[in-house]
Amino acid sequence: MDDTRNAFDDLPGDLMMWILIVSELLVFGAGLIAYLSVRVTDPAGFAEAQASLHRAEAGMNTLVLVTSGWLAALATRAGTLALTRLYLGAAAALGVVFLFVKGMEYADKAAHGVTFETDPFFTFYYLLTGFHAAHVLAGIVILGLVAIQCQRRTVEAGTAFWHMVDLVWVILFPILYLLG
Amino acid sequence: MRITRAWIFLVALSAGSTVIAVSGQTGLAISLAILLLAWAKALIIVRSYLGLAEAPAWGRGFAMVLGGYMLLAMALVVMAGPV
Repeated sequence: MDDTRNAFDDLPGDLMMWILIVSELLVFGAGLIAYLSVRVTDPAGFAEAQASLHRAEAGMNTLVLVTSGWLAALATRAGTLALTRLYLGAAAALGVVFLFVKGMEYADKAAHGVTFETDPFFTFYYLLTGFHAAHVLAGIVILGLVAIQCQRRTVEAGTAFWHMVDLVWVILFPILYLLG
Repeated sequence: MRITRAWIFLVALSAGSTVIAVSGQTGLAISLAILLLAWAKALIIVRSYLGLAEAPAWGRGFAMVLGGYMLLAMALVVMAGPV
């Protein structure tokens, strides 16, 4: 019998999900560093464009997402199948709220003629927030799937993906919306 | 429960950074404070939500990489200067 343990055994959840999480963090991380690097060339222009964003709404969306992450974390510790599904459903529902607010934000920008090509700030804004929103959508689908196929291993993997989406947002939000 | 305590901290830190930003105050110190709050939030998510507090070696590794990343972000903000 092989009773040797390796370092990967200490990681909570599925190793493949961690590989995916690290890959996604690297992509978002590179995108945000690219944004900050271009911002160095025109801080006043970036600040002016950024001032048109609704910071309070985006701040509310941050509260929605961290609360959704809390519910997802509770799902991995729930004692019963029904409670696990309830937490997963609630976490996914808050994900839908996040996307709804994000959709309103995009609609407002479109109504004011702000597009991907308006200026470098908005190119990064649409690329980074759009890519993140796509991950929120994927996360909602994953939470739904693991609620159906509700086993400890799948719930841990699905919620880990959701926490990655949360982690990206808490760094992306202040950099894109709050830095003056 | 540790998860609920983490959530309370995340809500407080998120509200704090938003209040600072909408208060109208600007400057390098404000920008760096906002990034410090983001760093704290990211650490809480890594340790509590992702569960790396229970895998200390991995937790330390993630914290080190995250620290290096946030310092790089802060350096770029300093290079851009006050707006």
